[in-house]
Amino acid sequence: MNNIEITIPKTLQEALELISGGNEGIGIIAGGTDVVAGMRQGSNRFGGINQLVDVNHIKEMKGITGAGGIVTIGAAETFSGIISNKIIRKELPLLAKACGTIGSVQIRNRATIAGNFVNNAPCADTVPVLLAYDSTIEIKSLAGKRELPLAEFLKAPYRTQLNSDEIVTSIKVPLPKGDFKGDFYKLGRRRAVAISRITLALLIEIKESRINRLRIASGAVTPIGTRFNGIEKEFEGKTADEKTLKAIASRLGERVIEVTGLRWSSEYKLPVVQQICYQMLYSAVYGGGK
Amino acid sequence: MKKNFSVVGRPVIREDGFEKVTGSAKFADDLKIEGMLYTAMLRIPETHAKINSIDFSAIEGSQYLTAICTRNDIAGIKKIGVIKNDQPVFCGDKVVTPGDVIAMLAGESEEELHKLIGKIKVDYTPLPVLTDPLKALDENALLINEEAGTNLIVHHPLRKGDVEKGFAQSDFVIERKYTTQLIEHAYIEPESVTAIPMGVSRGIKIIGSIQNPFTTRRIVAAVLNMPLSKVRIEQSHLGGSFGGKDDTMCMLSARAAVAALKTGRPVKIRYTREDSILESYKRHPYIMNYKAGFSKNGKINAMKIDIIADGGAYVSMSPFVTWRTVVQATGPYLIENVHTDVRAVHTNNPYTGAMRGFGSPQPIFAQESLMDEIASMLNLSPVEIRRINGLKAGDKTATGQTLQNHDVNLLTVLETAVEKSDFTNKWKDNRENKKILFEPDFSNPVLKDNDFIRPEDSIKRGIGLSVSLRGCSLGGEGIDAAAAYLSLQSDGTIYLNCGLAENGQGLKTTFSIIAAEVLGTTAENIYYLELNTGITPDSGPTVASRSTLMGGGAVKNAAEIIKQRLIPLIKSEWKLGDEEEIEFAGNKVSASGKELTTFPGLCRLAYSRGICLAAIGWYKSPDVHWNEENGQGDAYFTYVYGCQVAEVRVNIVTGEIYVDRVTAVHDAGKIINKLGAEGQVYGGVTQGVGYGVFEEVTHENGLIRELNFDTYTIPTSKDIGEIIPVFVEGDDANGAWGAKSLGEPTLELASAAIANAVYNAVGTRLYNLPLNLEEVMLGKKLRPVNNKRGSLA
Repeated sequence: MNNIEITIPKTLQEALELISGGNEGIGIIAGGTDVVAGMRQGSNRFGGINQLVDVNHIKEMKGITGAGGIVTIGAAETFSGIISNKIIRKELPLLAKACGTIGSVQIRNRATIAGNFVNNAPCADTVPVLLAYDSTIEIKSLAGKRELPLAEFLKAPYRTQLNSDEIVTSIKVPLPKGDFKGDFYKLGRRRAVAISRITLALLIEIKESRINRLRIASGAVTPIGTRFNGIEKEFEGKTADEKTLKAIASRLGERVIEVTGLRWSSEYKLPVVQQICYQMLYSAVYGGGK
Repeated sequence: MKKNFSVVGRPVIREDGFEKVTGSAKFADDLKIEGMLYTAMLRIPETHAKINSIDFSAIEGSQYLTAICTRNDIAGIKKIGVIKNDQPVFCGDKVVTPGDVIAMLAGESEEELHKLIGKIKVDYTPLPVLTDPLKALDENALLINEEAGTNLIVHHPLRKGDVEKGFAQSDFVIERKYTTQLIEHAYIEPESVTAIPMGVSRGIKIIGSIQNPFTTRRIVAAVLNMPLSKVRIEQSHLGGSFGGKDDTMCMLSARAAVAALKTGRPVKIRYTREDSILESYKRHPYIMNYKAGFSKNGKINAMKIDIIADGGAYVSMSPFVTWRTVVQATGPYLIENVHTDVRAVHTNNPYTGAMRGFGSPQPIFAQESLMDEIASMLNLSPVEIRRINGLKAGDKTATGQTLQNHDVNLLTVLETAVEKSDFTNKWKDNRENKKILFEPDFSNPVLKDNDFIRPEDSIKRGIGLSVSLRGCSLGGEGIDAAAAYLSLQSDGTIYLNCGLAENGQGLKTTFSIIAAEVLGTTAENIYYLELNTGITPDSGPTVASRSTLMGGGAVKNAAEIIKQRLIPLIKSEWKLGDEEEIEFAGNKVSASGKELTTFPGLCRLAYSRGICLAAIGWYKSPDVHWNEENGQGDAYFTYVYGCQVAEVRVNIVTGEIYVDRVTAVHDAGKIINKLGAEGQVYGGVTQGVGYGVFEEVTHENGLIRELNFDTYTIPTSKDIGEIIPVFVEGDDANGAWGAKSLGEPTLELASAAIANAVYNAVGTRLYNLPLNLEEVMLGKKLRPVNNKRGSLA
C-alpha cells in the first residue's frame, strides 16, 4: 500500500483548489470501496497516487433533491442513502433495486453513486439503470462546470472523460414521463457480495398494444455499461406480442456479439442474457403473473 | 447406561460465547509484544522453477531489515511434513508450487519489508509444469520430488470377493466418471503466529492460530533441533480451521521460531487472505471412475472403483485422506464383490491435505449420484434402492468388517429423513411435472423463437437425498488416545483442560457438560483452561471428528476418578452403608434420595480432609486392524450414519440452484451439547452447499485465480434456506455415554443430495462439482483465458 496523505476539504471550492494543478498523483476518494481495495491489490490505476482528497464531508456533493421532474443525487451519496430515499424508491425503482444488489450492507453504507460510474467497471451495477434513465452528470473544476450524458462520459473499461482537475459533483436523473414498466436484473455467482456476471436494465412503454418507447441497457456482458439505442429505435412502434419480444432479445444477443466479440464466457452468457431480456420484457408487458 | 441426564443434551451457553460475541476474545493477531518483529515472504511467480541464485545485496544494510532467514539458518531438519518431511521451510534450489517460500525477511515494519522483497534479485529458470494428475504416473512424466523417484504418493488397494464374477452375475453393468474440484478451507481468520525466544535454557514459546499444538510442537522442535519440552505451544482463540490450520501453521510456526532464535526477538508472521490462499493446502480434487454391476431387483453385486487424487506438490495428509476414501468409497452398502484402487499423485498444483470431510465428500458425491442413477434405470425410488442395499447390523463392510457393538442406524436415519422431509411425495410430484428444458447450442448463439422460456417456466423444483456411514476418529491411521485434566477447587468450582484443541467446534462447552454431568454440577461452574503443550497431556491431533468421542471419554474418566475418591469420604462422613446409592445432581449430593450436602460443601470437606481433587483422565480407543495388501480389516472401531435431503429450485434459464431446505438427520450417538450439535449441522451443511454449488479454486498453469473472497465465492446467508437438524441417538459402548462424531458427517452429504435433487428437477445428471452456473447450463466449466483482471490494469 502506498504512503498517502489524505486531505478532507469541507467545501467543493477547497477540493477543486487541491486538485487544480492536474497532478496525476492526486486522487479522489469517497467511499473507498474501489480505491482502497485497488491500492491494496497493487492496481496500476492507483499506483501513482500519493495524495487523496476525501470528498465525504462536502455538503454540495451529498443529498438527494427533486425539482422540475429531475432527481439530483449528490455524487458522494451512498447506496444506502439512495435506497432509503422515498422519491427514488417510488419514481426510480430500478435505481433503488440496483443499489440494493451491490455488495453487502457494509459496502452500501460506504460506496457512492459517482464512485460506481467513475470507476466504470464493466460490472458496475448502477450504470445500466442510470443509462436507461437517460442520466446526465455534472462535473466541476476551478475553470467552471460542464454537464454531459452519462453515456458520453463513459469511454472504456475503467476509463471516463473525467480530467484530473475535475470532480463529478452530482448526477441528474429525469423522471420517466409516461407509463413505463420495467426492471433491473442482476446475475452473480451468489445472491450477495457478488460481482455481476450479467446485468440488464429495461424500461418499456406500451400504447395501444404497440411498443411506444423502449430502453435497454446492459452491464457485464459488454465491455462497459451500454445502452442499445439501435434496438430501441428498431422496435419502437412494433406490436408488443411475444414474437416481437423474442425478436428484441435475439437482436440483443446479436448486438452483444458485435460489441463484445466471442469471449471465454460467451458460451454461457450469450444465451442467458437473451433469455433474461425476453423474460424481463415478458413480465413488463404481461405482468409477473401470466 | 445412564438414562436421566441433567446437563447432557440440554442447551448450554457456549463457554467462549460472551468473549467472541463482544469482540473481547483474543485471536492470534491481537497479540503484540514490545520489540516484536514482523515478516515478509520471498516467493517467485512461478509454478515450477530452478533457482540459480539469490542476490540480497540491494537490501543488506537497510535500516528496515533485522534479519534475512533462509535454509542456512535452520539447525534441524530443513524439510517438514505431517507424514513425510518433504516440504522445505525455505526452498533451496527449486520451487515446485507457487506458494513456496524461498526466504523470509524480519523487521519492525511490514510495509517496508514488502518494499525490500521487491528489491531482492532471484535468478531462476522456469521448468516444465505438471498440472494434470492423470499424467502424473506417465512413464516420461517430470518428477515433482526427484528423491522419491515417482509421482505416486500412495496407492491403497481394496479387494473383496471376485468383482469380475459379480459383474458376470449382474443384469446390468454401468460405468460413470465423476470429478470434484480443488477447494479452500476459507477460515475467516487468516494464519497468524508469534514465536517468543525464552532464553537458552527455556527454549521457545509459540502462540498462534494453531489447530494441532502437539503436531506443531513436534515439527518446530525438529526444525530447531530442540527437545520437545523446550518448545511450548499455546493456542489462541481460533477463527476457524476446518482441518486447515495444521501443516500451514506448523510451517509458519517453524519459520517464526527460526527468525526468533536468529534475532533474539519475538517474531510474528501474519498472512493476508492472498498469502493464505496462495500457500495453504486445499481439499483434494478427485477423478473417480465407478463401475457397478446390479440385478434387476436393485441388488448391487459388484463395484469397481478407480480414483486418482491430486495431492499437489507435497505429501501432506494425502496417505490418510485417501485411506479414508478407500474404506468408504462404496458407501454404506452391502456389496459382496469390491475392487477399489485409490492413488494420490504429485503435481505442481497447490498441495492438498486435511479438510473437514477428509476424503469422504468426493466419493460420496460419486457413489450417491451413482445409486440414484441405478435406481432411475430400474424405475426404483432413491429410497428403495438404499433400502435394498443399505448396511444393517451384522453386515460386512467393503473392508470385511462386521458392523457390531453399536446401533447400525443407516436405515433409521434414511427413514427418518424421508418422513421429516415428505420426500417420497415431493420426489414423485417433481418428477411428474412436465419438463421444459433449455439446452443452449453455441454453434447458434442467437436464440430462436422456440428457445425462449417464459418466466413462469424457468423454475423447476427438485428433491434429492444422500446417505453415508463414517468411521469415527483415526481408525487405522495410528495411535488414538486422549487425556483430560480436571481439578476441583475447595469452593466447588472446577478447572478443566484437554489435549484436544478448541478450534471453534465448541469442545470446551461439550467437555464442561460431560464433567458437570458426572459430578452433578453445572457447566457454568467449570473454568476451561487454555491449551498449552507445557501443561496439557499430548492427546494427538484435533481431527477426524474425534473430540467428543475421545476427549469426551477422557473427561468422563477424569470426573469419575475424582467421584470415586469422594464416595468413600461421603460414606464415612455420613456413616452410610455400602448399599446406599450416592447421587450427584443439581449441585447437591444425596444418598438414597436424601440430601447430604451441596457440591461446594463436599469439595470443602474433601479439601479439608486432604483428598486429592485433581485427576488426569485417559481414553484409549479399542484396537483396529488393517491389511494394506488387500484393504481388509476392522478399519474403525465404530461408525456414525447420516442422511441429508436437499430441496432445491433450479433456474433452467440461468443455471442457478437455490437450496431452499436441507433436512439433516444424523446418528452421532448421544448428543452431549445440543446447541453445539445443531451449530455443527448448520455450519457443515452450509459448507457442503458451498462445496456442491459455489466454491472452486481454479488455476492457470498452477497459478491460482481466486486469491480472495471476491472471486472465491463461499455461500452467504442469502444463498441457503432452511437447515433442519434431526438427531437419532443410537447406542454405542464407546465414548461418553455413546457420544460419537458429528462435525464431518454434516459436511459430506450435501453435494450429492443437491446433484440428485437437480436430476429430480430437470432430469439432467451432473457429474462434475461444483454445480455452478456453467455446469448446470452446459455440463462443463468455462475458464478465463488468462489470470489478468481488468480492475488491476
